[in-house]
Amino acid sequence: MTRPAHPPLRPRLSLGLRFARRPMLATGLCILGAFVLMAVFAPVVAPYDPILQNGDITLLPPSLAHPFGTDNFGRDLLSRVIWGARIDLQIAVIGVVFPFLIGTVAGTVAGFFGGWVDASLMRLIDVVLAFPFLVLMLSIITILGPGLGSFYIAMALVGWVSYARLIRAQILVLKTQDFAVAAQSLGFSRLRIMFRHLLPNALAGSLVFVMSDAVLVLLNGASISYLGLGVQPPLAEWGVMVFEGQGFLNQAWWITLFPGLAIVVLAFGFSLTGDALADLLGVKE
Amino acid sequence: MSAHLEIRNLSVAFRDHAEERLLLDDITLELGRGEFLGLVGESGSGKSLLCRTVIGLLPSRRLHVTQGSVRLDETEILGREDCIRGRRIGMIFQNPTSHLDPVMTIGKQICEGLALHKGLGPAAARTEATQLLRQVGFPDPERSFSAYAHEFSGGMRQRAMIAIALSCDPEILIADEPTTALDVTIQAQILRLLQDLRAARGLSIILITHDLGVVAQTCDRIAVMRQGRIVEHGEKRALLAAPVHPYTQQLIASHPSLSHAGTEPVRHKHDRSPVFEITDLDVTFPQGGGLLMKRRGFRALKAVSLKIWPGETLGVVGESGSGKSTLARTILGLNPASAGRILFEGHDLTATSAQLRRAGLDRLRTGAAMVFQDPFNALNPRLTVGETLAEVLRHRGETPPAEIENRAGELLDMVGLDRAFAPRLPRSLSGGQCQRAGIARALAVNPRVIIADECVAALDVTIQAQIVALFRELTEKTGLTLIFIAHDLAIVRNLCERVVVMHHGEIVEDGPSARVFARPEKPYTAALIAAIPDIDPDRPINGGIPFPSQQEFAT
Repeated sequence: MTRPAHPPLRPRLSLGLRFARRPMLATGLCILGAFVLMAVFAPVVAPYDPILQNGDITLLPPSLAHPFGTDNFGRDLLSRVIWGARIDLQIAVIGVVFPFLIGTVAGTVAGFFGGWVDASLMRLIDVVLAFPFLVLMLSIITILGPGLGSFYIAMALVGWVSYARLIRAQILVLKTQDFAVAAQSLGFSRLRIMFRHLLPNALAGSLVFVMSDAVLVLLNGASISYLGLGVQPPLAEWGVMVFEGQGFLNQAWWITLFPGLAIVVLAFGFSLTGDALADLLGVKE
Repeated sequence: MSAHLEIRNLSVAFRDHAEERLLLDDITLELGRGEFLGLVGESGSGKSLLCRTVIGLLPSRRLHVTQGSVRLDETEILGREDCIRGRRIGMIFQNPTSHLDPVMTIGKQICEGLALHKGLGPAAARTEATQLLRQVGFPDPERSFSAYAHEFSGGMRQRAMIAIALSCDPEILIADEPTTALDVTIQAQILRLLQDLRAARGLSIILITHDLGVVAQTCDRIAVMRQGRIVEHGEKRALLAAPVHPYTQQLIASHPSLSHAGTEPVRHKHDRSPVFEITDLDVTFPQGGGLLMKRRGFRALKAVSLKIWPGETLGVVGESGSGKSTLARTILGLNPASAGRILFEGHDLTATSAQLRRAGLDRLRTGAAMVFQDPFNALNPRLTVGETLAEVLRHRGETPPAEIENRAGELLDMVGLDRAFAPRLPRSLSGGQCQRAGIARALAVNPRVIIADECVAALDVTIQAQIVALFRELTEKTGLTLIFIAHDLAIVRNLCERVVVMHHGEIVEDGPSARVFARPEKPYTAALIAAIPDIDPDRPINGGIPFPSQQEFAT
């Protein structure tokens, strides 16, 4: 008995009209979509090989042949920025999904059961929060060895706390509501009450947070790579590229500028989408 | 005699860039000097909006007065409400708790108005405020002056709000559902207070309410509103005796004080074992205390013993805080019992052995279901009505999966909801429809007992009458046992054949409704019954019985 076809309850707006009413959401999604397309079709879109070095054309300023210029190894920067989207989008997505999943489950369990389960989870969160974020990340990555895999693990270990706290607060409010009591009085299992009745009503806030968190994770990934602990050269990643350009800032500003711009625009896309989602889902921050 | 307040052809519209909707449609109404006017209507009929328009407090910027005039003593006040708000027209609201400043003493809040509108100095204001507090019935005005809102009961808070409204000597008092949040006995006291004030100060009063019984006993004239229009108005006796508009007729017919039918004496032979057998049930909630302090307890139920027989319709009545909801939740196993025994069909729900208790609870879950007070809050907002029902059916496992859709449809039929409601989310339903869905969910359990906790309190009278009729039909048809918890005695008298009266966590009276309502044995029951607002205009408030002197005091 899942929503059979009946006369529509609200006048349905066409997709185009719905987006036209929400320019923020439309712009945000367009930016994100453009980056995804760019990442997927990188081999087709990119004019040159992003890794192949060419000693003849080092440090060329932006021109028609190389719109973003070339770096000190003679690699085309436009191609590197395009290929970089693959890695950076991956960072933003994986770096958010795992903390989100872990945090959501932990927060739901803590909020629902309360008592010692709640208390111990909350203390654990306090411990994680007691360390400066970047220091904790760096120490975990150093222990595991540099690389993207370590970055994701560190992100998952550290990032879940904000989601857990967000969801827990929501669950605490929701579980006293009549529909939760009703579910209990009907004899539903705890798992069902938690994940079918409470969680869907608690998710809106975290979904919005996911978007703004993606921005932070992206910047974190860039900074970790910048510190040499994330993506390893010669792979194209925007943070690494900014790092590589640092030494040439006086002679060749374009090496740093364009990957930096890419980070900014993608981050902008995420936060626009996040704000629009907050509006759409009725979440007040 | 010219009218004190005159509203002519007033229209208010909601304007959005997409649409324009008329919320008040050509209202014309007069309030005579010293008159007590009752404005009756269901939620959404525009009665509160009308009064807010008069004092210039439109709740949204998208609302605009499109036409009409409001004249106070023949002077146009529309658009210049600032000069009259508070000073000439005072207002009291439904929920005194949210309309009183929690961090300011009651006295200070009264003085604020006195200083602003009358220009009194602090000392003079204090004297005046103390007098006002005495006038509205505070037993110890000096002490109450420096007390905060949370130190008072709901009734006293409402009195404090009346004192604030009176502080500037208004000529007109608008009372927006002033007694809806209060218990019946307190309601009667507040209504009596309003009448006394009118006599003492020559006030003109507009009383907004959804309860025809309240206006019948207090007002001189009645105006009935529906969908932004005044459908009928006139002198109360004439209007009640010969209502012209069908909606007014319907309102009068659905008022619970009128129909006395449906309470035939107990027809059950008690040879079967009781559904619920409750012995010396105690529930204590921990209160206060901390790491080092000793925890104290609040005894919500004190040694309650009760037997509920199969097929019975049992009404549990009492004022707020009497423990009736606690009783419901405890026998449903949603609240731990501190002491005593609860047997459900012979199974001990309070057994010390976890296994026995588990077995009892399992039986309870398949045999009893609950209907809640707030219909919107009781349904999961993310599930459609159909999904909610299907979930229960699937969980019960009695209906084969292929049959579930059909069975959900049958349940909707049983509660009088069209099957087209199945794919709708609760937020797209009205309160009454939501409550029907809630009842359908309870029925989906295929229960032998339904416990309804204040399930009509949040609904309009006409909808209340429908839900009560639905319950009556269900109990008669299916032999369901119904435990109906309500603070509204009139409804219980209509629906239930046996009634239990609770007070401060104890059962004070238990017997067949016909007997209890006709010849109450305990003074508390008698006081409760006397306070029921009656639609008979010649019956004085509280049945003419003088109030027990100031039952409620500041804590």
